[in-house]
Formats: sequence, C-alpha cells, structure tokens
Amino acid sequence: MSQFSILLHYEWRHFRAARGLVLLTSLLLVVGLYGIYYGTTEVARQRRHLAELPALTRHSEAELRRKFAGPADAGEIGYYHYTFARHQPSPWASLALGQRDVNPYYLKLRLLGLQGQLYASENVNPTKVLSGNFDLAFVLVYLFPLLIIALCFNMLSHERELGILPLLLAQPLRPGVLVAAKLTFRGGLVLGLALGLSAVGLAWAGVPLDGRVALWLALVGLYCLFWLGVALVVAAWQRSSAVNAVALLGAWLLLLVLVPSLLQVCVAAAHPVPQGLALTMQQREAIHGGWDRPKTATMTRFFARYPQYRDTATIRERFAWRWYYAFQYLGDQSVAPLAAAYTQGQQQRHALVAHLGWLSPALSAQTSLNALAGTDLPAHLAFQRSATRYHDALRAFYYPFLFKKIPFTHADYARLPTHAFASPADLGTAARGLWQLLGGVGAVYLLGWALLRGRAVAPR
Amino acid sequence: MSYILEAKDLRKQYPDKLALKGLNLQLAPGEVFCLLGQNGAGKSTTINLFLGFIEPTAGAAFINGLEVASNALKIKQYLAYIPENVLLYPHLTGLENLSLLSSLAGFKYRESELRDYLGQAGLPAEAMARRVGTYSKGMRQKVGIASAVAKHAQVLLLDEPTSGLDPKASNEFSELLRQLSGQGTAVFMATHDIFRAKEVGTRVGIMREGELVDVRPTTALNTNELEQLYLTYMQ
Amino acid sequence: MLTSIAQKEFISTLRDRRFVGLSLLVLGLLLAATLVGRRGYAALQQERAAAQHTVNEQFAHQPGRHPHRVAHYGSFAFRPKSGLSFLDVGIDSFTGAAVYLEAHQQNSVNFSPAQQAGSLIRFGELTVAFVLQALVPLLIIFLCFSAFTEERETGTLRLLLSQGATMRQIAWGKIRGYSQAVALVVGPALGLAAALLFAAGSPARGLDLGLRLGLFGLGYAAYFFVVIVGAVVVSARQQHARSALVLLLGCWMLGCVILPKITANLGAHFYPATTKAQLDAEVHAETQRGIDGHNPHDAHVAAITAALLRKYHVASEKELPVSVNGIVMAEGEAYSSRVYQAHFAALNRTYARQNALADWAGWLNPYQAIRPLSMGLVGSDFAHYVHFQQAAEAYRYQLVQRLNGLQTRMGYGDKERRLGAATWQNIAPFAYQAPPVGWALPALLGPALALLAWVIGLSWLGLKLVERTPL
Repeated sequence: MSQFSILLHYEWRHFRAARGLVLLTSLLLVVGLYGIYYGTTEVARQRRHLAELPALTRHSEAELRRKFAGPADAGEIGYYHYTFARHQPSPWASLALGQRDVNPYYLKLRLLGLQGQLYASENVNPTKVLSGNFDLAFVLVYLFPLLIIALCFNMLSHERELGILPLLLAQPLRPGVLVAAKLTFRGGLVLGLALGLSAVGLAWAGVPLDGRVALWLALVGLYCLFWLGVALVVAAWQRSSAVNAVALLGAWLLLLVLVPSLLQVCVAAAHPVPQGLALTMQQREAIHGGWDRPKTATMTRFFARYPQYRDTATIRERFAWRWYYAFQYLGDQSVAPLAAAYTQGQQQRHALVAHLGWLSPALSAQTSLNALAGTDLPAHLAFQRSATRYHDALRAFYYPFLFKKIPFTHADYARLPTHAFASPADLGTAARGLWQLLGGVGAVYLLGWALLRGRAVAPR
Repeated sequence: MSYILEAKDLRKQYPDKLALKGLNLQLAPGEVFCLLGQNGAGKSTTINLFLGFIEPTAGAAFINGLEVASNALKIKQYLAYIPENVLLYPHLTGLENLSLLSSLAGFKYRESELRDYLGQAGLPAEAMARRVGTYSKGMRQKVGIASAVAKHAQVLLLDEPTSGLDPKASNEFSELLRQLSGQGTAVFMATHDIFRAKEVGTRVGIMREGELVDVRPTTALNTNELEQLYLTYMQ
Repeated sequence: MLTSIAQKEFISTLRDRRFVGLSLLVLGLLLAATLVGRRGYAALQQERAAAQHTVNEQFAHQPGRHPHRVAHYGSFAFRPKSGLSFLDVGIDSFTGAAVYLEAHQQNSVNFSPAQQAGSLIRFGELTVAFVLQALVPLLIIFLCFSAFTEERETGTLRLLLSQGATMRQIAWGKIRGYSQAVALVVGPALGLAAALLFAAGSPARGLDLGLRLGLFGLGYAAYFFVVIVGAVVVSARQQHARSALVLLLGCWMLGCVILPKITANLGAHFYPATTKAQLDAEVHAETQRGIDGHNPHDAHVAAITAALLRKYHVASEKELPVSVNGIVMAEGEAYSSRVYQAHFAALNRTYARQNALADWAGWLNPYQAIRPLSMGLVGSDFAHYVHFQQAAEAYRYQLVQRLNGLQTRMGYGDKERRLGAATWQNIAPFAYQAPPVGWALPALLGPALALLAWVIGLSWLGLKLVERTPL
C-alpha cells in the first residue's frame, strides 16, 4: 500500500471517530433530500395550478355561452373572455427554483391592452419569499461550503494541535502527500455527497438525459472543488484551527453574502432600470385618452398599422368595439419604447451580473444552475415575449370578427388560439458560469500549491 | 570511519537571534550523545535541523552521509524522532497508531508483530488495543519508541525524553536506550537531566547560547563532576 | 469584583487586534449599509412620491367625463416607504410598489424590486438589519468563544477563583465587558441612523419615528445580550476553544441560515395558498350572485328599478331624480367589494398560518424573534404591507362609490352626459398614512416576549450552568 492510500484509510478512521462530523454529514444528506423533495413538490404544485387554468377558462366560456345564447358581438366576448399564458417549468426547475416564486408563472389575458396585464403579480406570501426556497441549489450553493468548512478547517492544524504532526513528518513522508490525502478524502466525501444528491435529484425530477446533466454535474463538482481549494489555501497558510475557521467562514460570508449584496448595489447604480411605474402610468393615459380623442384620428392611426381593415365602415355610433380595441392596441404601441427599455434594463442587469460571476463562484454557480433550470430572469422575459405573441395571436383572431362584423358563435370558442411555453435553458449563461468556476478553481489550487511550495509545513 | 550523524559548521539564524553558531559534531553507530543545556540554548534547533524540519542558514547536517536539507525524505528512513511529549491520535489504539507510523515508513506489519514491538518497548499487553486517549505520558512514549524500533532506525533523535516521567518509567527508558545502542543504533538526546545523561550517554556535550562549549566522554567524569562542569558553564 | 472583571475584558478586547479589525469591518459595513439604505430609500421614496403626484395631477386635470369613465380611468396607489425602512427593508423588496385602483376589480400590487433584480436579490441585501442580525452575532462569537477556554488553558481562571471570585461573577463580568465592546461597535451606526432620520424628518412624525427607533435599538440590545450570554456560557461549558467556536458557529448557521428558511418553507407547504387566478375566479363566481353593473338584463336591476319607482312614487325610470345605472353600479361595487374583502382576508389568514411556524420558531431561535420585531418596528413587515393594501382598497372603494354617487345624482340618461372638469379636483387624492407604532405593537408582542424569555431564561439557566461547570 502506498503512503497515500494508508493515509486515506486513516482519514476514514478519523472521520468515523469524529461523531460530530458524521452527524453533520448525515444531516446534510437529509437536508439535501428535503431540498429535492421541497423543490419537486413546489414545481408539482405549480404544474397543478397551471393544469387547473384551462378549467377556469372553460368555466368562463360556459358562462359566456349562457350569457350570449345566440351569435354574439366578438367585442363582448373579447372583453369578458379570459385565457391564460402559461409558463410550464422544465423538470430542472425542481432542482433550482430560482425566481419562479417571485415572477408569475402564468398571465391572465384578455383582449384589452397588453401592457396593463403583462406585469400582474401572482399571490405570494412575501415573508415566505423573503426567506427563500430550500431547494437543492440552495443546499449545494449555500450549505455545502459550510460542510466543507466544517470538514476542512482543521485539515493540517488538527494534527499540529494534537501534536502528532512532528511524528508524522519524521517519517519519510512528503507534507504534500499528507495534505493531498486529507484533501482527497474530504473531496471524495463532499463530491460523492453533492453528486449523489444531484443524481437523486435529477432522477426524482425526471430530467431528460442530455448534455445538461453533464453540465449540472460539472457545475456542482467544480463549485465543491472550489471550496475545497479555498480550504487548501487556508490549510497551506498554516494557522491555528480557530484562525482557519474564522478565515473560511469569512470567505463564505464574503462570497455568499457581501459580494452579491454589494454587487446588487453596484449593478443597480450602473443600470438603473426605468421603473415599471412610469410605464403603467403612461399606458393608462394613452388608453383612456383614446375615449376622448376623435374616433377618426384613432382609426387612421390604427389603419396605418393594419391596412387590411382600412376599407371597413366608418364609425358613426357613440361606441364600437373595434374602435375600443383599436385604442387599446394603440395604447400598447405608445408605451412600446418604455416597455422595451424596461425589459432591456432588466436584461442588461442580468447580463452584467452573469459577467461579473467571477467575483464570486457562489454567484456564478447559482446563476448557472438557475440558467440551466430556466428559472431566472431571462426565462421570465422569454415567457413575457411569448405571452406578447399569444396576445398578438388573440388580436389576430378577433380582429376579423370585429372589423368584418362576423358574429361570434359558440363554435368559435374552440377556435381561440391557445398558448404553451416551456422554460428554455439558458445554456450560454450556464457555460459561462462553468468557465468562471473553472477559473476560480484554477486560481485557488494554484495559490494553495504555491503556498505549500513556498513555505515548509511547520510540524509545530 | 563513516558517521551516522554529522554536523558541519551548522548555523541557524532566526530573525531575532542566532540560534546555532557553527556546530561541528560526529556520531558513530552505537554511540549515545547527550546534549545538555538550558532552555533556549539551541538543543531543539539542532534536533530540528537534523530532522529537516528547518533549514540551516549555513553549513550542513548529515544523516548516514546524506545531506539533510537536500535529502529531506530519504534521511527519514534512517532516523526516528521521539519528542518530549509523544502525542498520538487519541481516538486510535496504540496498535493503530503504531501501524500508521510504521506503514508510513514503509513497513507493513501484522498485528502480532506490532504487539511484539510494543511489548519490547514495555507497553503492557492489555493497553495495546486501548485508545491512546487513556494512556499516560510514559505509555505514549513507549509507543513512540516502538515506532522507532519498528522502522529499524539507525539513529534516534530524542528531545527531553525523560522530562515528566516518573523515576520507574525513566529508568525503563534508560534501559531501552542501552539495549538499542547495544544493537548499534546511534542516539542523539537533548536533555536537562545530568544524571540520566551520565547514566546512558557515551559522550555528553554542553551547549550554551548556540555554541557547543564542551564535549566529554562520560567515562572521563562522575556525575558530580559533570554537574560542576555544567554549572560552571552556565554562570 | 464584577466591575474589575468587566473592565479587564473590555480593555483586553480593545487591545485585541483581531477584534479591532473585525469590528472596524462590521462598523464600516453598518455605516455603509446605513448610507446605501438611506440613498436607496430616498430614491425609491422620491420616485414613488413623484409618481403619486403625477397620477394625482392627472386625475384632477381630467377633461369633462362621465363619472363611470373616471371610475374606470381610476388612479394608482404607490406605496411610500416607511421612514425607518432604510434600516430594515424587510419584505419590501418582495412586495409591489404600485396598485392600479379601478372600478369593479381589485388589482395586485405590482413591480416589486425582486421582480426587477433577477436571482441576485435572493442572496440577501446589505442592510443595517442584516448586519445587526447576522454579522454582529458572528463578531460576538469570535469575541467570546475563548472567554473561558483561554483562561482555563492559561490557568488564569484558577488564579481568579483563588482570589475569591465566583464563576458567576466572572461570567457576569465578562458579559458586561463584552457588551460594552459590542455597544462601541453598534452605537455609532445607530447614532448615524438617528441623525439621518431627524435631520430630514418632519417633526410631526418625529415622535413616532423616535419611539420606533428607540424600541428598535432596545430590541437589538436584548438580542445581542442573548448572543453574548450564550457565547460566554458555551465558552464556559466547553473544554477547548476550538470546540466552543465550532459549536457556536454551528448554532449561528442553524439559527441564521437554515431554520428561518426551513420553517418558512414548511409553513408554506402545510398551508397552501390559492393562486390569484383561482381567487379571481372564486370572487367572480360569487359576485355573479350579486349585481353586474354593466349588464342591463340582470334580474337584480329590475328589482332595484321597481323599488326606486315605489320609493319616488313615479311610473317610469325617466321620471326618477336619480340614475338607476349609478345605483346599480354602487350596489354592484358594494357587493363585489364585500366578496373580495372576504377572500382577501382568507388569503391573508392563510399567509398568517404559513408564517406562524416561523413566528413560533422565535421561541427556539432568537434570530427569528428579532427579525419580525425589527421589520415590524421599522414598518416593513407583512402587517404594514397589508395595512397599505387595505388603505389602497379602502380608497379605491370610496373613490368608486363617490363616482357612482355622482352618477346617481345625474339622473336618468346619465350616459349621454358628462360632468365638468372641475368635479375631479374636489376628489381627495390617495394619501397613505403609515400606522403609528401603537398600531404595530400588539402584533409584535409575540416576538418581543420570545426575546424577553430568551434574555431571562438564558441569564438564569446559562449562569446556573456556568456555576456548575467543573474546572
């Protein structure tokens, strides 16, 4: 047996003897399984809610069928009929819930102005949302570093403080081999746990077996390796266990708390998002102004965009639905630049954060896992775009009824367009995160190696 | 004649003090050299230099003809080190600790062989499979000696080995050393204990402020004379 | 004796370079958080005030319109930030800023900062409350973990005891000394907060804000005291500094990271809330049993018309001095609003049940006692948010009903006519008055009592444990 495997064997014995650590590791295993359970039930609940939505639409249709027993004016139907744009979670969402609890996962749409409907919120308990989700990504990103810290804070200092280090180093044993064995044992334990939990989570969530599985495992593995590397640097620094614990916890605080929160302040300052407030206010002005503007002016502006309806009859009555929906549409158009600026601002912020992920591996890991699961801002913005297209389709469906004065019959309900949208994975962001993590891992191991090379391991 | 342990003009400069001022010393197999001196005289620095735990500022230490600084790993096959207080993994038994240390030195023993070594070092058989956490200082030291024997060390580096031992344990320890040196093991021992030095040593050296000020064969003087000599130097 | 031990701890703490470094860091973070928080607060506050001003102006300067058009035009309520919220943003990042107030329906409060921020916000925000709740305890742990272990290892503990001091006296002395050191770190930041507050604040709200800030400081003092006593007790009970540190850090992680999240998640798991779509559908279904103001064929309308004809002793709707439409609208609004209120209250009860687990956890975990207390005192907790929602809904209701009243008085044929532009200027705009501290206190009694129980219980039990510690 080589020295390395002897040491590995003894590390296992030391670990077994340290009941606190065994308890902590088992606790993390349990907590990880709970995270998977929580994430999957949460996504299952969202799926259930999404599945219930068509029933609500059907219910309202039934009501409209009763209300309008014969052929009806499509304007009436468009006003009362509602349908839903649904954001189906990918199976991956169970593992990293991301912003799915903050951003609405469905939108209730009517034929009215879209901008008034696009930013509606879902019922959320803010106190719960503030505490955040206990999903697998949280366990991996937040708690695994803490496990690594608990396992590694006395990686070399324990032997030194026990006083056995001089005896060990008086054997023909390279200090590097000792450190490597210790790190390998802990790495094996941590990686085994992290990847094992991931495998359980992936199976439980029922994700399709494609390249994303490898990407997830690589991200998780690299992130754990990063923290093991930080522990290596601290061990190579050769201070007492207490100082090591403080240093490692300081690193945890810095990378998981301080950098993200400071970054948030900086990003908000760098890209002030034009608030949605101005957007809704202006949209209301534009739409309600429609009532007061001359109908011909409104219709002329509308026909400029929809020339195919130019030849329809001039509106002489006090109220006509096609005029009503025309100024609803024009209201949306008038705030289009603001809406674009709003989403663009959000996108820019997100992109900046993704670019600055190298500042904190925790940040890049979380961002990448969320990107992989399609639960972050880009997925929501894509959903909003999809909902916008759906609204366009609804308008395209209703307009012929309105402008050509075709009566809306009961059979037409079935012809209404429907919507389906599944979270896309943001592979670009995830891949960038992988590189950032790789860089971080390289940096810490290089530093650790240099420190070990640069100063001999002091036996006392 | 080949020396098992040798120092050539060995110097060690710490940032705040010159700990060792050019030590020259040779030890032949079977010799027991006792280094006397006050705390801070440079005894531990000397041992650490022979162990390769620290690097000399100038000069060189040799074990078995190999320069320590450039053969840090190789020389550790020949030497064994027993610190003042032998500390071991408290949650492992004496047998397990010994197994770890000797297997790191490249010796893979069966349990019966390990028991033999521990028995030779004087550890009671009933204690061998007990956790080291329950051992006394003397018992731990016996595990340390067993590890030295088990790796067939040609030179033993001892740092204040008898301090804090009761007279019986101390006596047993001296007996063991005599046995080992009889088998050809060279012993380099830093100590305060003039009586022990006279008893087990073949030569004694007196060190003051990093300088080896006197070396005598123990046969040349009795204990009282040695104590007088020591006190003279310490004034 | 006690004083001299406290004095010794205080002085040696100040001479400890590590402590000075760490506390400078914490103090720096506190001051930065105060200033950043204040700036963020000012920016949001100004933005919302400007928005509120704009919509109020827009409302007042409407052209001549039919009142029901105005009811559909509606208004917005923007939630002003509470004056102290720069100390603790609480749930504000996850609650919306604006609610559209219109006839017939209650809209969600939209545009929360969290929706605009991406997942970065889930890492938490650097606020004074975060530093006080999570980082200062860490500082205390680093300060106190070796309080007894070091004295035991160096043997000075025996020396002190041989001088006639008791373990209890030594422990109290240490607690006092460390408390002084912590006060030195936290004090300046709270002072700065108070200065910022009263330099800008209006005197009318001054007393209320002062009281809130005072209680805020008091709450944190109790919290820190609990952490200091806990750390000193652990240090006394543990043989080695290392095990004391590991145990304390473990408690910190459990209390500040894991428990809050797990209790919140379990609460939501056990008491699922209905979705907005479901809620709307239920409200809609129930409203159907009432009056649909926009449906002239509604059976209720005929009944109301008949009753009016009887009341005014006239034969036809044309002769009525009031508009049937207006009355029907008002009836419909009253009914739907009642229905909505019932559902809204049920939803909030569900949330309260979800949060109950986390609230009870305050008895086990001081962090979960100070957190609701802190949010409640600065006015950024759920209760204050609901208060705003209710104020906005109350305003919406009275606005719509007032407009319905105007419509009613227009008499028959109101739909063909409009009211003059001057009418809208007489309608008071939405002005939100945050509730006074007295309103907030009853709800905070639970966490306050939990914290008090910790102070008393730990002082009693912990010190008893210290007394019984073998040397």
